[in-house]
Amino acid sequence: MIDPVISHPLGDFIREIIPIPEISFLINALISIIAICAVAIGTAPILIYMERKICAHIQCRLGPMRLGFHGTLQTIADVMKLLFKEVYAPKGADKFLFYLAPMISLTAPFLALTMIPFDHNLQVANLSVGIPFIIAVNGFGILGILIGGWASNNKYSLLGSLRSGAQMISYEISFALVLLFVVMVSGSANLMDITQSQSGTILDWWIFKIPVLGFIAFIMFFISSTAELNRAPFDIAEAEQELTGGYHTEYNGTAFAMFYLAEYINLVTTSSLATTCFLGGFYPPLIGIESIDTLLLKVPGFIWFAGKVFFMISAYMVVRWTFVRPRVDQLMDFEWKFLLPANLLLLALGATYIAIIG
Amino acid sequence: MFPLETVDIFFYIVSTIIIVTAILTVTAKNVLQSAIFLIFSFIGTAVFYLMLHAEFNAIAQVMIYAGGVVIFVVFTILLTSRLGETSLPIKIPRSFIAAVISLSLVFVMWRFLLPDASLIRTLPGANSDFASLESIAIRLLGIDANGFVIAFELISVLLLVTLICSITIARKSKENK
Repeated sequence: MIDPVISHPLGDFIREIIPIPEISFLINALISIIAICAVAIGTAPILIYMERKICAHIQCRLGPMRLGFHGTLQTIADVMKLLFKEVYAPKGADKFLFYLAPMISLTAPFLALTMIPFDHNLQVANLSVGIPFIIAVNGFGILGILIGGWASNNKYSLLGSLRSGAQMISYEISFALVLLFVVMVSGSANLMDITQSQSGTILDWWIFKIPVLGFIAFIMFFISSTAELNRAPFDIAEAEQELTGGYHTEYNGTAFAMFYLAEYINLVTTSSLATTCFLGGFYPPLIGIESIDTLLLKVPGFIWFAGKVFFMISAYMVVRWTFVRPRVDQLMDFEWKFLLPANLLLLALGATYIAIIG
Repeated sequence: MFPLETVDIFFYIVSTIIIVTAILTVTAKNVLQSAIFLIFSFIGTAVFYLMLHAEFNAIAQVMIYAGGVVIFVVFTILLTSRLGETSLPIKIPRSFIAAVISLSLVFVMWRFLLPDASLIRTLPGANSDFASLESIAIRLLGIDANGFVIAFELISVLLLVTLICSITIARKSKENK
């Protein structure tokens, strides 16, 4: 069994006051689950509001303005609407798979979020196989989309899910290879160890620590994760103009909300992964000047982490509303003819760097 | 960490899930539903690996079988046309024979494996880092008598060749046009 790695003082406190190991384990597990759900479900409405506002301002309009101050209550109203809508499956749909698909695609981002170190003591599971675990559970996201598209009994949904399946399977290779690059240079697949290998000044983050290569790897991670997330410019899975909504055309109510939620939690997970692997995780951006560094160190780590995560998320959003969408064949050409060879080259160069400089 | 009784209860829960999903895999009328049940069965096996302190095997099981093989199976099923309109006809005599064969296999295992006293022990004596990522990696890349570095390098070169082959195939098909 995996030991319950709740290294947080809270976990020790509960282990202390409850002598029976099973019950204290269960309570600790429950606390972890609630914490992960709170982080994930709590950020989703904020992200939806953020996306609407960023989208609106890029397109020179105001976005939601009526409900609350600058439309802040709009997301809550939408969530209420989605929750109280009737959930029904279309005629001729495979009911079992139709309702199973959103649950499967919601599993992957939650599982990946358990591996992320939010602060020195804020990590649910400190596994030595953290990066392989994240790559492994990413497959469930693809599965949910494939099943959902097929079970809807709709040609648009099926086309969307097949496109997105092909896209995600292809880009998963580059995604995994970039993560492999990080594992190679940091010497560990444990996300806590990867973070701790970046302690020190801002130049010790993996994006800057290896000259040029780190930055190229970060850009490659950004591209392949945008494709993994099915976000524009790589959102051919749900291209409205061609597919009327893609794999979730037939979904409504709570089932649609689950797909939508999975998309945004995936955004959080991927941004956290980028923060952990390239942007120094929960370490503050120290610049080597004593007086400023003492001030920066006074801010707790999870605030730095959240700041970096939101920086990454806004980068994804700005990219989404700036670039045009490539065609399906251009997208696959880009992965198989450019990104994958470039990734292999990057791995070889990284290995050379380690062998020569250390 | 846990007393043995708790692990036992957990073992029975997981094995029940595995058996039920395995039976559903072969009895489901729809091929796609079979594939989904197969995934749950694979995940149950991964949980068994976790219970035996083999974390890396569990991750590999999920990554290769649930995340890789079954997704490709699902993908090929989706590409076949008219799925769901016609279900595979299962003939009664064939399923009867299959049931007889599997029940006799269960009987043989129960008859010959259960009396072996060394197998009845609930958990093997391996410590928690016996099959961790580090120890597996050190073992695979070891150059002493216990290492497998040549086999590992051969396999990794083979996998690299397949990756490069896929790139060349993708490149060629475009030039022909």
